[in-house]
Amino acid sequence: MMRKKSHWGLIGEYVFLTIIAIISVFPFYFMIVGMTSTSQNIVAGSLAFGGELFKNFQNLFSNNLGFVRALGNSAWIAVIQTILALFISSLAGYGFVIYHTKLSNRVFNTLLLSMMVPFAALMIPLYRMFSALSNTPFEIFGINTFASVILPSVATAFLIFFFRQNAKAFPISLVEAARMDGMSEFNIFTHIYMPSSKNTYAAAAIITFMNSWNNYLWPLVVLQSDDKRTIPLVLSAMGASYTPDYGMMMCGIVISTLPTAILFFFLQRQFVQGMLGSVK
Amino acid sequence: MKDNLARRKNRMGWGFFSPSVILISVMVFIPMIYALFTSFMAGPPVNMHWVGLQNYQAMFSDKTFLTAASNTFLYLIVQVPIMLFLAMIISVMLNDNRLKFRGLYRTAIFLPCITSLVSYSLIMKTIFAPTGIANKLLMDVHLIGAPIQWLTDPFWAKVLIIISITWRWTGYNMIFFLSGLQNIDTEIYEAAEIDGASRWKQFTRITIPMLKPIILFTAITSTIGTLQLFDEVNNITKGGPGNATTTLSQYIYNLSYKYTPNFGYATAISFVVVIAIVVLSLIQLKAGGEDK
Amino acid sequence: MKLKHLLAGVAVIALGALLTACSGGGSKTSSSNNSSGKTLTVWCWDETYNTKAMQDAIASYKKANGKQKVKIVTMAQDDIVQKLNTGLASGNNKGLPNIVLIEDYRIQGYLTSYPDAFSDLSNIVKKDDFSSYKVAAGTKGGKRYGVPFDSGVAGLFYRTDILKKAGYSDADMQNITWDKFVQIAKDVKSKTGTYMMTQDPSDLGLLRIMMQSAGSWYYKSNGKTVNLANNQVLKDGLKVYKELMTDGTVEKVSGWDAGVAAVQKGKVATAPTGSWYSSTIQGAKDQSGKWRIAPIPRLSGDDSVNASSIGGAGWYVLKGSGNVAGAKDFLKKTFASDPKLMNTIAKDIGAVASLKSALKQPNYQAEYPFYSNQKVFNDLLTWAKKVPEVNYGSGTYQIEDVLKDPVSAIVKGANVDSTLKDAQTQAEAAVKNQ
Repeated sequence: MMRKKSHWGLIGEYVFLTIIAIISVFPFYFMIVGMTSTSQNIVAGSLAFGGELFKNFQNLFSNNLGFVRALGNSAWIAVIQTILALFISSLAGYGFVIYHTKLSNRVFNTLLLSMMVPFAALMIPLYRMFSALSNTPFEIFGINTFASVILPSVATAFLIFFFRQNAKAFPISLVEAARMDGMSEFNIFTHIYMPSSKNTYAAAAIITFMNSWNNYLWPLVVLQSDDKRTIPLVLSAMGASYTPDYGMMMCGIVISTLPTAILFFFLQRQFVQGMLGSVK
Repeated sequence: MKDNLARRKNRMGWGFFSPSVILISVMVFIPMIYALFTSFMAGPPVNMHWVGLQNYQAMFSDKTFLTAASNTFLYLIVQVPIMLFLAMIISVMLNDNRLKFRGLYRTAIFLPCITSLVSYSLIMKTIFAPTGIANKLLMDVHLIGAPIQWLTDPFWAKVLIIISITWRWTGYNMIFFLSGLQNIDTEIYEAAEIDGASRWKQFTRITIPMLKPIILFTAITSTIGTLQLFDEVNNITKGGPGNATTTLSQYIYNLSYKYTPNFGYATAISFVVVIAIVVLSLIQLKAGGEDK
Repeated sequence: MKLKHLLAGVAVIALGALLTACSGGGSKTSSSNNSSGKTLTVWCWDETYNTKAMQDAIASYKKANGKQKVKIVTMAQDDIVQKLNTGLASGNNKGLPNIVLIEDYRIQGYLTSYPDAFSDLSNIVKKDDFSSYKVAAGTKGGKRYGVPFDSGVAGLFYRTDILKKAGYSDADMQNITWDKFVQIAKDVKSKTGTYMMTQDPSDLGLLRIMMQSAGSWYYKSNGKTVNLANNQVLKDGLKVYKELMTDGTVEKVSGWDAGVAAVQKGKVATAPTGSWYSSTIQGAKDQSGKWRIAPIPRLSGDDSVNASSIGGAGWYVLKGSGNVAGAKDFLKKTFASDPKLMNTIAKDIGAVASLKSALKQPNYQAEYPFYSNQKVFNDLLTWAKKVPEVNYGSGTYQIEDVLKDPVSAIVKGANVDSTLKDAQTQAEAAVKNQ
């Protein structure tokens, strides 16, 4: 018994998805047009290409806001943060499912609470804590270091929650079989769970990298010297002008969105159905 | 016997989640306790004094707070269901093996959430200007007779914010669904197909129940995201016209930084937000059958 | 097996990288934040405006003191506000600048919240050297904390060509009242089809201009008592505002950019705003020779004058960042006294100085073709002298946010007295804990 309308269904899917895709991509078209336009044309909403591309790029790299250095800083922070966060949070998310007890469930629920507080409320005490590290041996983690930007986002309830929800679909029988073979608990995690959860890791990596790359409030407060500034801070400084140079900014914005877009394009390939089946 | 097992499980479990527990305790819970104390204080930041429940009482007669709270809940009730449903439909379609160019479609639909706020707000304001593309389209198809004042009319400004959040975050939620869909065994669908189940039936009987943990996850995180909504309003409408689109998070930010700082009151409102999120999350967890 | 090693390797590299990144950062921090260090750090916003002015000042200071290094960090104004508040509130001065630019509307709030953070500059800022309202903005308890920078003196920017079509000559635009402005607006709209101006319903800048022209504000002159309910000036201003917003002569926009776009596309006849708008208007090069600036309209009655202010900022010195003497000396020899610097700044960024002696400088006496050969700098600085002093208090933005909804209610027809009375209660509660 095959589906009868599958052909029409597929066409419907194409039409629907194409419309959604166009709506989604339209602003990117606007941004790319913006790279070639003058500020005035951008504000006026012009959708035709202009001839200012070279000049806009020149302005972007010649002003003293340090766009290139900020790209490097952001990349550094995002990569390290993503690796650490994925490892530590997936460890916890997996642990909460596999070693599920009443106590661990309570611990998990308490952790959930941590993502419910608006960050603005935590910022000043957090800043105080990091600034207290100045002039101590722990200064390397204190304010104005990359570590101070990364540390608060290494373990997040959000990621732990996500890993936990996904681990729920992970067949416990695989774990038990591995135990029979005498595998250690940690090895089961790294050898059985991790390889079979590429889809989860891919999604988590995209989200973490993106959040880190776009993180604004905390880096703004904690990074003091301008040679440490990240991309969002530099873009913000560019935009705060009586007469912002939007052409130049669009060049900066397009460049700064590329890493996440490229990362997404490569990682989304992990979203292939039946991954679990192949492990079985 | 059973107790023993639980104890062993706990011991092993701690090995896995203690790094996170320690980090989150230091980075969130300690500052949170500090903030809780602050919420009972008032005065200049360097010289605050204890005022008891005064900050919490002040909210009831604060019109800006009440407006912000009702706006925030409106966004929550209207926007989150629309967005999650849309994200789920899109993900299921994009999971169809027969579909070509899936990678391109996925990337395209994901793009909005990585668009920088500056360009995002600029674009939204241009599209929804009185003479912008949105009005032109709507007038061309005769849905409206006169241009809609998207940015300066209190009602339409709220609609605009809802459209904007949906546009930006649907692709983001799609990722979780896409990744969750991979955990569903294809054999289940094949079996259903043999039984002659329609696609809609497969969606409601297999996909939705199997995706339950992820639906719950996105529902809770979107609730949190909406209750902490700041970027969109602050960049597109600045909370205006008047305070028609302002949110609790924007008000907290304004109280801390835009105005002469009133950290006590700002943190008090933060904790009201926390309580609201906790209550809503508990309801969702209950509805999602998550007690086991 | 391989995966395990790979993972371990990745984790080690990540941790190692984290540590090196931090230690590199750490050592740099301690050296650059040494409070006895000579380098002065300045925070300001707007790369093409304030930063440029600061660069001019640094260049001119080199002649007086070649050794002093001054470094500028450009940030968004909101970012500066946030960093300052976080730093000052946590009592940790590490990483804060020596000199910072602060908007006039905000400074009283800082001086109230952080009474010991700012250095008293009374001995380098001579009261009579500046437009008096600019000095008043940065004064608290008789001490002058700020070196006034750009004047936010208001002007009525107008399109001579459009107004001529509507039947108004340049002479007709001088020293008018807001009632007259409303009348002109109607003629402009009916005879030329052009809007008189744009107005963002969420931006009450126009009301601020009207209030200051009569020496009134959201606060009484003590800067503490909220002054909405029985504020006759505000009521008169609201009457004009309501007329403008309801008689179809004003285009409603949202946000700064939309207003700029309307001006640059030639869709409006006037822009009653601060002098700093000049460089924005001049962005529309095709409109050269079509603009002039008249004194800002006054309210009829209320002792209102044809002079007011909007925006504007001043330089402040943070005590806790060290080298206060160096920072003071720098400001003393530049923004606090140097008319030649003001001349350069006028040319480079079009900012109107607060320093009165700038008036004699060549750029202030020059005629500008863009403004139909009007001596705009001369005129603006002359009007600046007449701007009434007001105490902006510490909650201008907060009161204004409270006032936004009542104002739109009034525009829609609500009773002015009862609405303002209600707003007064709200505003008093809002600023109570500052």
